[in-house]
Amino acid sequence: MTEDLKSETRDVVLEVKSLPTLPKVLDKVTALLENPDASMDEIARVIGTDQVLSAKVLKMVNSPIYGFPGRIGTVQHALVLLGINVIRGIIISTSVFDMMVKAMEGLWEHSVGCALACNCVARKAGFKDPEEYSVAGLLHDLGKVVMAVQLPELEQQVVETVKSRDLTYFEAERAVLGFGHDRINAWLADNWHLPPNLKEGMSYHHKPQLAPLYPDIAAVVHIGDFLIRVFEFGSGGDDQVHALRPEALKQLKLKTQDLEEILDQLGRELVEVADLNFA
Amino acid sequence: MSAAGGCVPQRRQKVFLITADQDLTNLLLSLWSRDEMDWVHFGRGRAAIETLFNEPPDLLIVDQHLPDLSGGEVASLVKSENVYRQLPVILCLGPDDLARGVDFGSIECDDFLLAPYDGDEIRARVCLTLSRAMRSLDANPLTKLPGNTSIIQRIQELIDRQEDFALAYVDLDYFKSFNDKYGFSRGDEVLLMTARVIVNIIRGFPRARTFVGHVGGDDYVFITPPEIIEDACQRIIKSFDDIVPHFYDADDKAQGFIRSTDRQGQVRDFPLMAVSIAVVLNQGGRLQHFGEASAIAGALKKKAKENPKSCYVIDRRENG
Repeated sequence: MTEDLKSETRDVVLEVKSLPTLPKVLDKVTALLENPDASMDEIARVIGTDQVLSAKVLKMVNSPIYGFPGRIGTVQHALVLLGINVIRGIIISTSVFDMMVKAMEGLWEHSVGCALACNCVARKAGFKDPEEYSVAGLLHDLGKVVMAVQLPELEQQVVETVKSRDLTYFEAERAVLGFGHDRINAWLADNWHLPPNLKEGMSYHHKPQLAPLYPDIAAVVHIGDFLIRVFEFGSGGDDQVHALRPEALKQLKLKTQDLEEILDQLGRELVEVADLNFA
Repeated sequence: MSAAGGCVPQRRQKVFLITADQDLTNLLLSLWSRDEMDWVHFGRGRAAIETLFNEPPDLLIVDQHLPDLSGGEVASLVKSENVYRQLPVILCLGPDDLARGVDFGSIECDDFLLAPYDGDEIRARVCLTLSRAMRSLDANPLTKLPGNTSIIQRIQELIDRQEDFALAYVDLDYFKSFNDKYGFSRGDEVLLMTARVIVNIIRGFPRARTFVGHVGGDDYVFITPPEIIEDACQRIIKSFDDIVPHFYDADDKAQGFIRSTDRQGQVRDFPLMAVSIAVVLNQGGRLQHFGEASAIAGALKKKAKENPKSCYVIDRRENG
């Protein structure tokens, strides 16, 4: 794809005005908002299982209107700072996919699973705020959602290329577009003033060894994405498991033995969220 | 004339009226009692200006058609000086003025009245203009929260009604060293964040009558019923302590302090910012005046500040 086409694609991607989501979580949040006794923490926990709703609150709280762009990286903090009225407004204005629900369910499961996996990895690596790593995991495939909404024809081509040539989704994106969802994530993160570490987690999870400023978070998401694919929890758009980069383990000073422990832990935690179906 | 629905000023307002129109003058003076409005009438523009600059009123109502100047010129004189900009101006227009076109880009007024004049409408517009001016004048320019005047007024109202309430003074520890190291614009980010935290946590008690104001700088005030004050303080501290590290650079955040040079040229380490809350309880009509509340709070604040971590101190003395 030529540079011109790339910047055209970028413009279309960034024009995204209203990202739809899946109905299940939206309904749950709506019910919580109607309950005066529901706490912000409860609402944050539910919003934190939906990549689109999470992206929306983080975009809002990091908008220059609030005066501290690029500072807030967790849903919990975003909710405290936005307040219940703004949350209500976001929820009211969010629509649900009228098409392609089936295709999206797998991606939603994959994202929430990846968030959980990133949390496990971050804790094992001894990081103080695993929550931020979860968010990066939750949003690591957001570019795929935005692509499907803004450029449905190209997205269809990618899906077909995955099938016909037995490629990973990421490889197929690059074959069709010349770049992947990691690039789209970087555009979105910049445009929405998301914190720089979150941006690197979202945009370097396929090449963590190249992350310039926040290699830790890129490595965590890389490993989280790998682990959740090993579990075959949800679907990132293909049924493959990408190669685990040894640099990522080295970056976090994790050994193969640690990875096994994380797998056990993740297995237990996944059982708890297994009833989270997005249909 | 009796006060129509809610249109009573909170205190006696001083209003300058500049018009040569005797009917308009009579109508305006008949709309409020002398206890509500203190009218000063001028028949000509020039004569009014010096008085206007020496003793600015709460509101200026000026006729566009004066014998010596246009009302728009008077308005522009007032609005071109930052000292007087906040003074609300209402311009009285003749029946044909709008058709001829009034350039509100150059004539700086806050509202207009249109002849033929209607008493009910004038009352409503004057009240609206006064309360709007009060809101915008008093709002903190950074956070847009109510400022000192509204804070004092609210506290005195509660005292006068002998209502039980908890009054909390909030300020930030080590804000100055943060500002020195990172600059005032990042300091403003923290002030905006703090305002959002306080407002949203206080609003999270939906059934309680509450108030949040911004005194200025890193000083905030909030008021809640006494029953929820401890819960409110704890939640504010928790959220602030969770969020504030994100406003530091990664290395300072990791080491948990900032190193900077103090006024004596000494290199010193300053902890991450914390929030101190001093709470004065007014129960059983203990407080008589706003000044008592702030004096007690001042002493409590010192106590809260002794703790480098975020904390709150509540004054429970039955009689001050």
